[in-house]
Amino acid sequence: MKNGLALFLGVFATLALSWAGLLLTAHRQLGSLSQFKDPVDDVLHPQPLSGLADQGRLVYQDLGCVTCHTQQVRQEGSGGDLARKWGERGSYARDYIRDTTVFIGQSRIGPDLRNVGARTYADADFFYSILYAPQSKAPGTNMPAHTFLFDVHPVAGRQPSAHALTLPSKFAPGAGLEVVPTRRAEALVAYLLGLKDTYDYPIERSRNTPAEKPKEGGH
Amino acid sequence: MTSPDHSDRTEQMEIDTSAKWPVLFFFGSALLWLLLGGALQLIAALKLHLPGFLSTCEWSTYGRVAPAAQNALVYGWGMNAAFGFGLWLMARLSATTLRHGGWLFVALKFWNIGVTLGVLGILGGYSTSFELLEMPRFVTLILLASYALIGAWSVTTFSIRNTENVFASQWYLFGAAFWFPWLYALAQVMLLKAPVRGALQPVVNAWYVHGLYGLWFMPVALAAAYYFLPKILGKPIVNYYLAPLAFWWLVVTTAFAGGSRLIGAPVPVWIPTLGAVGNYMLVVPIVIIALNLFGTVSGRYRALGGSLTLRFILVSMVGFVLASVLNLALSMRGFVQIVQFTLFTELRDWLIFYACFSTAMFGAAYFILPRLTEREWRSPLLVKAHIGATVLGGLLLTAGLAYAGWHQGHLLNNSAVEFVDVTKAMLPWFAFRTAGLVLLFTGHVAFFINFVFLACPINSKNTAVAVFRDPPNMSLGPQPPVGHSLKGVGP
Repeated sequence: MKNGLALFLGVFATLALSWAGLLLTAHRQLGSLSQFKDPVDDVLHPQPLSGLADQGRLVYQDLGCVTCHTQQVRQEGSGGDLARKWGERGSYARDYIRDTTVFIGQSRIGPDLRNVGARTYADADFFYSILYAPQSKAPGTNMPAHTFLFDVHPVAGRQPSAHALTLPSKFAPGAGLEVVPTRRAEALVAYLLGLKDTYDYPIERSRNTPAEKPKEGGH
Repeated sequence: MTSPDHSDRTEQMEIDTSAKWPVLFFFGSALLWLLLGGALQLIAALKLHLPGFLSTCEWSTYGRVAPAAQNALVYGWGMNAAFGFGLWLMARLSATTLRHGGWLFVALKFWNIGVTLGVLGILGGYSTSFELLEMPRFVTLILLASYALIGAWSVTTFSIRNTENVFASQWYLFGAAFWFPWLYALAQVMLLKAPVRGALQPVVNAWYVHGLYGLWFMPVALAAAYYFLPKILGKPIVNYYLAPLAFWWLVVTTAFAGGSRLIGAPVPVWIPTLGAVGNYMLVVPIVIIALNLFGTVSGRYRALGGSLTLRFILVSMVGFVLASVLNLALSMRGFVQIVQFTLFTELRDWLIFYACFSTAMFGAAYFILPRLTEREWRSPLLVKAHIGATVLGGLLLTAGLAYAGWHQGHLLNNSAVEFVDVTKAMLPWFAFRTAGLVLLFTGHVAFFINFVFLACPINSKNTAVAVFRDPPNMSLGPQPPVGHSLKGVGP
């Protein structure tokens, strides 16, 4: 290997091949995935996020929630995601086409959030409380408090806010003070509430759970 | 190449003089970033077991500090050190001076401005949330433009080389010089400029991250190992004729292996499968490289006592082997199902970036910097502290993260264990991780203090040549023939 040009061409080919072979091929396969129209009620899935929830996506992004939380439910037979009730089914690629930025994540210091909006305990109050004082909802957690997403101001001399949080006294800022979510907190919670892949696509189900029925499996 | 000893020596000194200031400044800024990024990393690590620590301020929330630390370390420490080392080695191996070094200062300055803005951007809430591409979009052009200058210098130095042979280190440096900007630019376009849709984004991100570690940091570390071993031991690389095969095999398969990070992810299953196949195929080049490198050291372990560089390079080689084994293990579906999303995944990248790459750069610095400044390291105690902390911290973190990740994975997959109990079980391990990082950080501080003494004009006491005795036959003269045209020892 004495020839600089040959070295350059080889180096170029290395990356060009992997780019074309991996990314372009994946793009050909996935790039044109479209919403699926349910044959019964003619509703398109996945449904787009609401405007507020989409702003919440930006808050999720700027706070780096993805550092600790994944947004992917592994398929049956792979890990304990379904047993943990992190989803009713594994995630499909089609679930993500509505997401402008995809946060599948790679660390589970915190639980998976792909279907957090569909959980039984999930309502706005729960999310506000766990963001303001994580220990109030999950004692022992190492989730940091996001107090900066809330305004704390005295109740005296003004009408109490209808949105003020109801916190156990241990976590409340003190008598005569109320905790009110800011606009960013509202957006973030709207986003979290919108995180639910409850619709099971008939075409995806057949595609993603093969090899179980015939016991041999392999083709 | 057949010139007598003294003219070869003069030539090397000329090269070192031409490279002195750019390389010193690259290493200087790299070390500043190593401390800054390390401090951020410690803050983040503390937060995992003390969630109340610095949590009232938005700028210091975990989700921002952790990626900011990672970016400061990778783009601040890692890239600057690689630039400094790469430029120096390219000049040495091409037997030509580093010309018009002033332009490199422009590049250096803008690169560091870019990284500063990027890290501040992440802390300030402009993160993109794509792993290792978190820096806000406006930084991209600054980084790419300043990289273009640095890369161009490296490639130009190579193309005006005065040597007939092209040595293994040069292939790796030359390749890396092109792979990084292509990977970075393509990933930026496909994720931020004209984002691809849905589940394709993680694919692009995985391709970039794997490429950055495998086609930039790993090659630079290998370039160091291939250069310093024969240089210091005064013998050619063993089985050198296999090195070109290993090079091409390694880089072609690494480029395809990015998908292995997506096992179990919502992407078509051929993507992780292709990645896993790529990783399996890596076994051959890794065995060859290990044969090349360990074969060269074999029987000469006594030389380790005389050379710090050699000791660090040996650590780096062990890191390389460990990282490769882990990479292979993390391509096996059954294993990945357990350790995915745990501290174990962190260990994979940490091994490549720290145990393999960073230690190689420390070794290189201990070789290069005394030669450039023509001074000795002031304090042997600090040197000992550095290598001791690196080895001990590295061992502790490797063993600790591996065990903790394995444990965490089992708990996560056991739905009978409440999530909060998983966290509680992990808290001691998060504390352990902090302790390991503190140890490494101490070593870095020791190194930095020594560097300041070495590089700053305030210390005029020592003007002797480097402390590390030149081993006999340090390839100053013509090499004995190795039996074929390619020599195992660089000039």
